[in-house]
Amino acid sequence: MAAEGTLRPGGGAAQLALNMKLLGHHELAGFGGVGEGVNMQKAKDGRRILWMAHESAPKNFTAVDVTDPRNPKMVVQTDLPHNDVRSNSLDVVGDIMAVAYQTKKWGLKPAGMDLFDISTPEKPRLISHFDTSGPHSRGAHCVFFVDGEYVHLTSGAPDFEPTHQKDDQFYRIIDVRNPSKPAEVGRWWYPGTRKGDSAPPPPRHPRFDGGYRPHNCTSYPKKPDRTYVGYIDGGVWILDISDKSKPKPVGHLQYSPPYNGFSHTVLPLLERGYLIVSDECVRDNGEDWPKPTWVVDAHVESNLVPIATFPLPPAEIFTKRGGRFGSHNLHENLPGPCSFRSETLIFGTYFNGGVRAFDVSNPMQPKEVGYFVPATPKLAPKGSAQINDVWVDENRIVYAVDRFGGGLYTLETTF
Amino acid sequence: MPESPTATRDTLAGLIPVSIVTGFLGSGKTTLVNRLLKRPEMNRVAVIVNELGEIGVDNDLVQVSSEQMMLLNNGCLCCVLRGDLQETLRDLFIKRRNGEIIDYDRVVIETTGLADPAPVMQTLLTDSMLRDQYRLDCVVTLVDAVNATGQLVQFSEPVKQVALADRLVVTKTDLAAEEPLETLTERLREINPRAPLRRATNGEIELAFLVDVGLRRSRADLEEVERWLGADEDHEHGHRHDETVQSFVLRFEKPMAWAAFTQAMDVLTALRGPDLLRVKGLVNVEGKSGPMVVQGVQHLFHPPLELAAWPSADRTTRLVFITRGIPRQVVADLFAAIGAIGTG
Repeated sequence: MAAEGTLRPGGGAAQLALNMKLLGHHELAGFGGVGEGVNMQKAKDGRRILWMAHESAPKNFTAVDVTDPRNPKMVVQTDLPHNDVRSNSLDVVGDIMAVAYQTKKWGLKPAGMDLFDISTPEKPRLISHFDTSGPHSRGAHCVFFVDGEYVHLTSGAPDFEPTHQKDDQFYRIIDVRNPSKPAEVGRWWYPGTRKGDSAPPPPRHPRFDGGYRPHNCTSYPKKPDRTYVGYIDGGVWILDISDKSKPKPVGHLQYSPPYNGFSHTVLPLLERGYLIVSDECVRDNGEDWPKPTWVVDAHVESNLVPIATFPLPPAEIFTKRGGRFGSHNLHENLPGPCSFRSETLIFGTYFNGGVRAFDVSNPMQPKEVGYFVPATPKLAPKGSAQINDVWVDENRIVYAVDRFGGGLYTLETTF
Repeated sequence: MPESPTATRDTLAGLIPVSIVTGFLGSGKTTLVNRLLKRPEMNRVAVIVNELGEIGVDNDLVQVSSEQMMLLNNGCLCCVLRGDLQETLRDLFIKRRNGEIIDYDRVVIETTGLADPAPVMQTLLTDSMLRDQYRLDCVVTLVDAVNATGQLVQFSEPVKQVALADRLVVTKTDLAAEEPLETLTERLREINPRAPLRRATNGEIELAFLVDVGLRRSRADLEEVERWLGADEDHEHGHRHDETVQSFVLRFEKPMAWAAFTQAMDVLTALRGPDLLRVKGLVNVEGKSGPMVVQGVQHLFHPPLELAAWPSADRTTRLVFITRGIPRQVVADLFAAIGAIGTG
């Protein structure tokens, strides 16, 4: 019997889908909570391996063979050394994988980044650990690693003392050309967030103080002199990194307040001159609504102009479906051999709004063209699916992951 | 790194197909729809009807949410058309997106027996919000084997229903003798020579005959295009023409300027819009690599869509016209006069 007020078998918790069909589902051996690190390796033996960083302890990362997306098979699952650290983020280039480590408190270890040799996916081999722990550091939250040479890292550092405890991570460029000896070559932080800065500390967000830290720092070989940063409550930054030792800001967009902060991912459409910017929803039940995905005109980097937001389903309904509802991660058009790349089709995750696809051919009128919201996973703590991150492969197969117990969903698109 | 081969959206492929089931009073529309809903493939259909009681009488009811909607036990949704079809289709999509109703993957609209299907088709062609979500898949016209011959003489509605059809289904054939049935078939062929025709008893008809008729992807192959356009042979010769309704195909071998094509169609719709019952076809437009898809009902046309590629080596413009009292020559002369185009 359907829930009252709905005309669907299973009621409001049932799967919702438009133009995305479920091909396969893997619960990751009972540890189905995945963070925001999902990337695909084309192994030398031809297998397609999806690597996922877990959202929280006890698991570190899991690899699943998705050569047949209808029948995903777990290859390896690893553990963290203790429960006060999480990996959350990873990236893969060839057979090298970078994994972030962030601790719950300052001063704990391991904090920083590991580099693994994953040429045998069943046996990831640690190459090196880049330690970013320190008296005022929780380590690294996010890695962006696509060229095999530099990791664009969101991290604290032993020598960095923030002016506010929430501003403890910043942008660091790590040279990994010799993966045995990663070394910082440049860094940039929001002026005023480090003790000793000449600039005053930036104002706190009046309602939701998320902090002034980078989230994703994206930089593409196609435009190697730029890094695009979602700086949480610090808005969107474009940095000129033509001299990696001295990143220089060339563009900034601040729209919070009045919006509710947490600028998360900046996806540049490099051919077309637009940015797609997602703000992360970080509160349950619509408390910090709206958390839009923006289309920003970046034709003039020094004057970034938001021109549209993605059409999301109605907040009055989805904020009552349990847990978070709003924007989070985007598929980032990575340059690897297995990654989908498009200047017009954008895939994003929206927690209980599932994974959703938009056509931005007309940047002023983005259109929703598909979505998939899984049925509520077993024992879901929020009473709903909380889709956290997405990877899309070159064949437009979509890999969406749940933040808590749902694991991995593989989907095909029909648009 | 270049974009992926799949980087762009196929603007046709993501649309929800809509079937219109029409036919004069007593032609068996409800019986046919009820039969279709029993098919396992048709388990996520939203049916729009005029009265709730008609559909699913032999279905166990799962739930009625209001006087206007009910869920059938096979998973389908039944919805009453109140007032405006435009509003009903929009409302259904919004409720689907909100998770309030099933994720229907097809809409079936059952018209009333006296309905003119043209406005229903026009709603799908012209409303921009509906066009983003739905596509017209098929107009199925049911014809009562016993009474239709008389009805086609007496009334204008059934003639138009037949003329606009993509598929014709002659029903109650078990109650009719073979000879009058043949006369009726001939009459239907005169009104609409291109729509494939089948006979059915008790609404039994193969599903494949009725679904996936309209173009459903921009990389449509030859079979899909031919299925949509109907029989390709020109029935002009060797048939007695209906006094009012005619069907013909215009072919142009040379590519034409889009401006010339639209000008010709603008003149035609301005002067004879109400009599231009249906137009569909592929146009070879100068400078375009794929054909432009043209679909219109009377004076309203769907915005043109470009297919990704021609489905075969034949790049002839093919336009199927179903008109009321507009002879082929008039339309051909108009095109000849407006554009510097050969008529093949």
